[in-house]
Amino acid sequence: MANFILRTAEPKDVCDILRLIKELAKFEEMEEQVILTEKELLEDGFGDHPFYHCLVAEVPSDQRTSEGYTVIAFAMYYFTYDPWIGKLLYLEDFYVMEQFRGFGIGSQILKVLSETAVRTRCSSMHFIVAENNKKSIEFYKRRGAADLSYEEGWRLFAIDKERLMKMSAK
Amino acid sequence: MEYKLRKAEAKDVPDILRLVKELAKYEEMEHQVTLTEKELLEDGFGDTPFYHCIIAEIQGGGSSDDAKVVGFAMYYFTYDPWVGKQLYLEEFYVMDEYRGLGIGSEILRHLSDLAMKTRCTGMMFVVAENNEPSIQFYKRRGAEDLSQEEGWRLYRIDKSSLVKMATPGEE
Repeated sequence: MANFILRTAEPKDVCDILRLIKELAKFEEMEEQVILTEKELLEDGFGDHPFYHCLVAEVPSDQRTSEGYTVIAFAMYYFTYDPWIGKLLYLEDFYVMEQFRGFGIGSQILKVLSETAVRTRCSSMHFIVAENNKKSIEFYKRRGAADLSYEEGWRLFAIDKERLMKMSAK
Repeated sequence: MEYKLRKAEAKDVPDILRLVKELAKYEEMEHQVTLTEKELLEDGFGDTPFYHCIIAEIQGGGSSDDAKVVGFAMYYFTYDPWVGKQLYLEEFYVMDEYRGLGIGSEILRHLSDLAMKTRCTGMMFVVAENNEPSIQFYKRRGAEDLSQEEGWRLYRIDKSSLVKMATPGEE
Protein backbone atom coordinates (compact mmCIF):
# COMPACT_ATOMS: atom_id res chain seq x y z
CA MET A 1 0.00 0.00 0.00
CA ALA A 2 1.50 3.32 -1.05
CA ASN A 3 1.48 6.33 1.24
CA PHE A 4 1.55 9.43 -0.88
CA ILE A 5 0.96 13.14 -0.76
CA LEU A 6 -0.35 15.40 -3.48
CA ARG A 7 1.04 18.91 -3.72
CA THR A 8 1.43 21.84 -6.09
CA ALA A 9 4.65 21.52 -8.10
CA GLU A 10 7.57 23.79 -7.25
CA PRO A 11 10.55 24.88 -9.39
CA LYS A 12 12.65 22.06 -7.90
CA ASP A 13 10.20 19.53 -9.41
CA VAL A 14 10.95 20.53 -13.00
CA CYS A 15 13.43 17.69 -13.42
CA ASP A 16 10.89 15.09 -12.25
CA ILE A 17 8.13 16.66 -14.35
CA LEU A 18 10.26 16.31 -17.50
CA ARG A 19 11.14 12.73 -16.57
CA LEU A 20 7.46 11.82 -16.18
CA ILE A 21 6.51 13.63 -19.42
CA LYS A 22 9.10 11.48 -21.22
CA GLU A 23 7.87 8.30 -19.53
CA LEU A 24 4.31 9.00 -20.63
CA ALA A 25 5.51 9.82 -24.16
CA LYS A 26 7.45 6.52 -24.17
CA PHE A 27 4.22 4.72 -23.24
CA GLU A 28 2.74 6.31 -26.39
CA GLU A 29 5.91 5.34 -28.30
CA MET A 30 6.72 9.02 -28.93
CA GLU A 31 9.64 9.67 -26.57
CA GLU A 32 11.87 11.29 -29.22
CA GLN A 33 9.18 13.89 -29.82
CA VAL A 34 9.73 15.46 -26.39
CA ILE A 35 12.05 18.35 -27.19
CA LEU A 36 11.04 20.52 -24.24
CA THR A 37 13.91 21.25 -21.82
CA GLU A 38 14.05 21.74 -18.05
CA LYS A 39 14.97 25.38 -18.67
CA GLU A 40 11.80 25.99 -20.75
CA LEU A 41 9.63 24.13 -18.23
CA LEU A 42 11.09 26.33 -15.50
CA GLU A 43 10.57 29.63 -17.36
CA ASP A 44 7.14 28.67 -18.65
CA GLY A 45 5.76 27.28 -15.40
CA PHE A 46 7.42 29.32 -12.69
CA GLY A 47 7.99 32.74 -14.22
CA ASP A 48 5.83 35.85 -13.90
CA HIS A 49 3.18 34.38 -16.12
CA PRO A 50 2.78 30.61 -15.73
CA PHE A 51 1.64 28.90 -18.93
CA TYR A 52 0.82 25.70 -17.06
CA HIS A 53 0.27 24.36 -13.54
CA CYS A 54 1.27 20.99 -12.13
CA LEU A 55 0.19 18.73 -9.31
CA VAL A 56 2.71 16.09 -8.25
CA ALA A 57 2.33 12.95 -6.13
CA GLU A 58 5.21 12.06 -3.87
CA VAL A 59 5.91 8.92 -1.81
CA PRO A 60 8.06 8.75 1.34
CA SER A 61 11.74 8.03 0.68
CA ASP A 62 11.40 4.44 1.96
CA GLN A 63 9.04 3.79 -0.96
CA ARG A 64 11.21 5.48 -3.60
CA THR A 65 11.78 3.73 -6.92
CA SER A 66 14.91 1.70 -7.61
CA GLU A 67 16.46 4.78 -9.29
CA GLY A 68 15.69 6.81 -6.18
CA TYR A 69 12.67 8.81 -7.37
CA THR A 70 9.99 9.90 -4.89
CA VAL A 71 7.89 11.97 -7.31
CA ILE A 72 5.88 9.24 -9.00
CA ALA A 73 2.87 10.91 -10.65
CA PHE A 74 1.80 14.27 -12.06
CA ALA A 75 -0.97 16.19 -13.73
CA MET A 76 -0.34 19.23 -15.90
CA TYR A 77 -3.23 21.63 -16.49
CA TYR A 78 -4.05 25.20 -17.47
CA PHE A 79 -7.11 27.38 -17.89
CA THR A 80 -8.86 27.82 -21.19
CA TYR A 81 -11.89 29.89 -22.19
CA ASP A 82 -15.16 28.86 -23.77
CA PRO A 83 -16.86 31.93 -25.26
CA TRP A 84 -20.31 30.52 -24.40
CA ILE A 85 -19.72 29.74 -20.73
CA GLY A 86 -16.35 31.15 -19.66
CA LYS A 87 -13.38 29.56 -17.84
CA LEU A 88 -12.53 25.89 -18.23
CA LEU A 89 -9.83 23.73 -16.65
CA TYR A 90 -7.89 21.91 -19.32
CA LEU A 91 -6.12 18.71 -18.24
CA GLU A 92 -3.11 18.42 -20.54
CA ASP A 93 -1.07 15.51 -19.13
CA PHE A 94 -1.92 12.97 -16.43
CA TYR A 95 0.36 10.06 -15.52
CA VAL A 96 1.05 7.68 -12.62
CA MET A 97 4.15 5.47 -12.83
CA GLU A 98 3.08 1.91 -13.51
CA GLN A 99 4.31 0.39 -10.23
CA PHE A 100 2.24 2.93 -8.26
CA ARG A 101 -1.09 2.31 -9.97
CA GLY A 102 -4.09 0.79 -8.22
CA PHE A 103 -3.61 2.79 -5.01
CA GLY A 104 -6.06 5.56 -5.78
CA ILE A 105 -3.42 8.13 -6.75
CA GLY A 106 -5.07 8.85 -10.09
CA SER A 107 -8.50 9.20 -8.47
CA GLN A 108 -7.09 11.53 -5.84
CA ILE A 109 -5.41 13.69 -8.48
CA LEU A 110 -8.69 13.97 -10.39
CA LYS A 111 -10.46 14.86 -7.15
CA VAL A 112 -8.01 17.70 -6.41
CA LEU A 113 -8.33 18.93 -10.00
CA SER A 114 -12.12 18.89 -9.67
CA GLU A 115 -11.86 20.95 -6.48
CA THR A 116 -9.53 23.39 -8.23
CA ALA A 117 -11.95 23.71 -11.13
CA VAL A 118 -14.94 24.34 -8.87
CA ARG A 119 -13.00 26.79 -6.67
CA THR A 120 -11.79 28.82 -9.66
CA ARG A 121 -15.33 28.91 -11.05
CA CYS A 122 -14.67 26.78 -14.11
CA SER A 123 -17.72 25.37 -15.86
CA SER A 124 -16.07 22.08 -16.75
CA MET A 125 -12.83 20.23 -17.33
CA HIS A 126 -11.71 19.30 -20.85
CA PHE A 127 -8.98 16.95 -22.07
CA ILE A 128 -8.24 14.75 -25.04
CA VAL A 129 -7.86 10.99 -25.05
CA ALA A 130 -6.49 8.80 -27.85
CA GLU A 131 -9.43 6.90 -29.32
CA ASN A 132 -7.66 3.55 -28.86
CA ASN A 133 -6.85 4.12 -25.17
CA LYS A 134 -9.71 2.01 -23.84
CA LYS A 135 -8.52 1.92 -20.22
CA SER A 136 -8.30 5.70 -19.93
CA ILE A 137 -11.62 6.17 -21.71
CA GLU A 138 -13.28 3.85 -19.17
CA PHE A 139 -11.54 5.61 -16.25
CA TYR A 140 -12.94 8.95 -17.38
CA LYS A 141 -16.39 7.70 -18.39
CA ARG A 142 -16.84 6.18 -14.91
CA ARG A 143 -16.41 9.72 -13.59
CA GLY A 144 -18.98 11.23 -15.93
CA ALA A 145 -16.84 12.27 -18.90
CA ALA A 146 -18.59 12.75 -22.24
CA ASP A 147 -16.88 12.22 -25.61
CA LEU A 148 -17.46 15.58 -27.29
CA SER A 149 -15.82 14.36 -30.48
CA TYR A 150 -18.52 11.75 -30.68
CA GLU A 151 -21.46 13.79 -29.39
CA GLU A 152 -20.71 17.12 -31.02
CA GLY A 153 -18.42 16.18 -33.90
CA TRP A 154 -15.46 18.35 -32.92
CA ARG A 155 -12.17 17.56 -34.63
CA LEU A 156 -8.84 18.85 -33.33
CA PHE A 157 -6.70 20.70 -35.89
CA ALA A 158 -3.14 22.00 -35.76
CA ILE A 159 -1.03 24.37 -37.89
CA ASP A 160 2.64 23.77 -37.23
CA LYS A 161 5.42 26.32 -36.83
CA GLU A 162 6.72 26.08 -40.37
CA ARG A 163 3.32 26.88 -41.84
CA LEU A 164 2.79 29.65 -39.26
CA MET A 165 6.07 31.25 -40.33
CA LYS A 166 4.99 30.96 -43.93
CA MET A 167 1.69 32.67 -43.10
CA SER A 168 3.20 35.40 -40.96
CA ALA A 169 5.75 36.34 -43.61
CA LYS A 170 3.16 37.02 -46.34
CA MET B 1 -13.73 49.00 -47.80
CA GLU B 2 -11.17 50.12 -45.23
CA TYR B 3 -10.69 47.93 -42.21
CA LYS B 4 -8.13 47.65 -39.47
CA LEU B 5 -7.15 45.01 -36.95
CA ARG B 6 -6.38 45.86 -33.35
CA LYS B 7 -6.14 44.36 -29.90
CA ALA B 8 -9.48 44.34 -28.07
CA GLU B 9 -10.00 46.77 -25.21
CA ALA B 10 -12.42 46.69 -22.29
CA LYS B 11 -14.86 48.88 -24.25
CA ASP B 12 -15.13 46.17 -26.93
CA VAL B 13 -16.76 43.66 -24.57
CA PRO B 14 -20.35 44.35 -25.78
CA ASP B 15 -19.24 43.83 -29.41
CA ILE B 16 -17.33 40.67 -28.48
CA LEU B 17 -20.43 39.21 -26.83
CA ARG B 18 -22.57 40.24 -29.81
CA LEU B 19 -20.22 38.44 -32.23
CA VAL B 20 -19.97 35.38 -29.95
CA LYS B 21 -23.77 35.16 -30.07
CA GLU B 22 -23.87 35.69 -33.84
CA LEU B 23 -21.42 32.85 -34.38
CA ALA B 24 -23.39 30.65 -31.96
CA LYS B 25 -26.57 31.48 -33.92
CA TYR B 26 -24.83 30.38 -37.10
CA GLU B 27 -24.22 27.04 -35.32
CA GLU B 28 -27.88 27.11 -34.15
CA MET B 29 -26.76 27.26 -30.50
CA GLU B 30 -27.48 30.88 -29.53
CA HIS B 31 -29.38 30.00 -26.34
CA GLN B 32 -26.30 28.17 -25.07
CA VAL B 33 -24.35 31.42 -24.67
CA THR B 34 -24.78 32.12 -20.96
CA LEU B 35 -21.63 34.26 -20.63
CA THR B 36 -22.29 37.88 -19.61
CA GLU B 37 -20.52 41.16 -20.43
CA LYS B 38 -19.46 41.36 -16.77
CA GLU B 39 -17.74 37.95 -16.93
CA LEU B 40 -16.11 38.75 -20.27
CA LEU B 41 -14.79 41.98 -18.75
CA GLU B 42 -13.42 40.36 -15.57
CA ASP B 43 -12.01 37.36 -17.38
CA GLY B 44 -10.38 39.26 -20.26
CA PHE B 45 -9.34 42.55 -18.76
CA GLY B 46 -8.51 41.79 -15.13
CA ASP B 47 -5.12 41.04 -13.56
CA THR B 48 -4.90 37.63 -15.21
CA PRO B 49 -6.53 37.57 -18.64
CA PHE B 50 -8.02 34.15 -19.44
CA TYR B 51 -8.39 35.06 -23.11
CA HIS B 52 -7.20 37.62 -25.66
CA CYS B 53 -9.05 39.11 -28.62
CA ILE B 54 -8.18 40.70 -31.93
CA ILE B 55 -10.90 42.92 -33.34
CA ALA B 56 -11.54 43.81 -37.01
CA GLU B 57 -13.08 47.21 -37.41
CA ILE B 58 -14.59 48.85 -40.49
CA GLN B 59 -13.73 52.52 -40.68
CA GLY B 60 -16.74 54.76 -40.93
CA GLY B 61 -17.01 57.76 -43.22
CA GLY B 62 -16.42 60.44 -40.61
CA SER B 63 -15.30 60.29 -36.99
CA SER B 64 -14.04 57.21 -35.18
CA ASP B 65 -17.56 56.91 -33.72
CA ASP B 66 -18.51 55.47 -37.08
CA ALA B 67 -16.13 52.54 -36.66
CA LYS B 68 -17.97 49.23 -36.59
CA VAL B 69 -16.64 45.96 -35.19
CA VAL B 70 -17.25 43.32 -37.86
CA GLY B 71 -14.98 40.40 -36.94
CA PHE B 72 -12.94 38.96 -34.11
CA ALA B 73 -10.65 36.17 -33.02
CA MET B 74 -10.46 34.95 -29.43
CA TYR B 75 -7.32 33.07 -28.43
CA TYR B 76 -5.22 32.04 -25.43
CA PHE B 77 -2.01 30.18 -24.76
CA THR B 78 -1.90 26.48 -24.04
CA TYR B 79 1.00 24.16 -23.24
CA ASP B 80 2.11 21.03 -25.02
CA PRO B 81 4.33 19.04 -22.64
CA TRP B 82 6.44 17.80 -25.56
CA VAL B 83 7.23 21.11 -27.23
CA GLY B 84 5.97 23.94 -25.03
CA LYS B 85 3.73 26.94 -25.68
CA GLN B 86 0.96 26.80 -28.26
CA LEU B 87 -1.46 29.45 -29.44
CA TYR B 88 -5.01 28.16 -29.19
CA LEU B 89 -7.53 29.77 -31.49
CA GLU B 90 -10.84 29.50 -29.65
CA GLU B 91 -13.21 31.58 -31.72
CA PHE B 92 -12.89 33.17 -35.15
CA TYR B 93 -15.73 34.99 -36.92
CA VAL B 94 -16.29 37.62 -39.59
CA MET B 95 -19.85 38.94 -40.09
CA ASP B 96 -21.40 37.50 -43.24
CA GLU B 97 -21.71 40.77 -45.15
CA TYR B 98 -18.01 41.56 -44.59
CA ARG B 99 -16.54 38.34 -45.92
CA GLY B 100 -14.43 38.06 -49.02
CA LEU B 101 -12.44 41.20 -48.19
CA GLY B 102 -9.45 39.35 -46.79
CA ILE B 103 -10.29 40.11 -43.15
CA GLY B 104 -10.16 36.44 -42.14
CA SER B 105 -6.82 35.89 -43.87
CA GLU B 106 -5.41 39.01 -42.28
CA ILE B 107 -6.55 37.91 -38.82
CA LEU B 108 -4.89 34.52 -39.32
CA ARG B 109 -1.71 36.20 -40.53
CA HIS B 110 -1.73 38.43 -37.46
CA LEU B 111 -2.19 35.40 -35.20
CA SER B 112 0.64 33.53 -36.94
CA ASP B 113 2.89 36.53 -36.37
CA LEU B 114 1.89 36.66 -32.72
CA ALA B 115 2.54 32.94 -32.30
CA MET B 116 6.05 33.41 -33.69
CA LYS B 117 6.75 36.45 -31.47
CA THR B 118 5.65 34.60 -28.34
CA ARG B 119 7.73 31.54 -29.28
CA CYS B 120 4.81 29.16 -29.78
CA THR B 121 5.49 25.98 -31.70
CA GLY B 122 2.07 25.82 -33.28
CA MET B 123 -1.52 26.98 -33.36
CA MET B 124 -4.43 24.68 -32.50
CA PHE B 125 -8.19 24.90 -32.80
CA VAL B 126 -11.22 22.65 -33.23
CA VAL B 127 -13.50 22.61 -36.24
CA ALA B 128 -16.88 20.90 -36.50
CA GLU B 129 -16.49 17.91 -38.79
CA ASN B 130 -19.36 19.07 -41.01
CA ASN B 131 -18.01 22.60 -41.51
CA GLU B 132 -16.53 22.06 -44.98
CA PRO B 133 -15.83 25.74 -45.86
CA SER B 134 -13.83 26.25 -42.64
CA ILE B 135 -11.99 22.94 -43.02
CA GLN B 136 -10.94 23.94 -46.54
CA PHE B 137 -9.96 27.48 -45.39
CA TYR B 138 -7.62 25.98 -42.78
CA LYS B 139 -6.30 23.12 -44.92
CA ARG B 140 -5.29 25.63 -47.63
CA ARG B 141 -3.07 27.18 -44.97
CA GLY B 142 -1.46 23.93 -43.96
CA ALA B 143 -3.70 22.80 -41.10
CA GLU B 144 -3.74 19.10 -40.30
CA ASP B 145 -6.68 17.21 -38.84
CA LEU B 146 -5.11 15.68 -35.74
CA SER B 147 -8.34 13.87 -34.92
CA GLN B 148 -7.99 12.02 -38.19
CA GLU B 149 -4.20 11.60 -38.20
CA GLU B 150 -3.55 10.86 -34.57
CA GLY B 151 -6.94 9.71 -33.32
CA TRP B 152 -7.40 12.31 -30.59
CA ARG B 153 -10.92 12.73 -29.23
CA LEU B 154 -12.03 15.70 -27.13
CA TYR B 155 -13.63 14.84 -23.79
CA ARG B 156 -15.49 16.90 -21.24
CA ILE B 157 -16.33 16.40 -17.55
CA ASP B 158 -19.05 18.90 -16.76
CA LYS B 159 -19.60 20.87 -13.59
CA SER B 160 -22.08 18.52 -11.94
CA SER B 161 -19.67 15.62 -12.36
CA LEU B 162 -16.81 17.80 -11.10
CA VAL B 163 -18.78 18.75 -8.01
CA LYS B 164 -19.57 15.08 -7.47
CA MET B 165 -15.87 14.21 -7.66
CA ALA B 166 -14.76 17.15 -5.53
CA THR B 167 -17.03 16.41 -2.56
CA PRO B 168 -15.93 13.67 -0.18
CA GLY B 169 -18.25 10.70 0.01
CA GLU B 170 -19.03 7.39 -1.56
CA GLU B 171 -16.68 6.33 -4.35
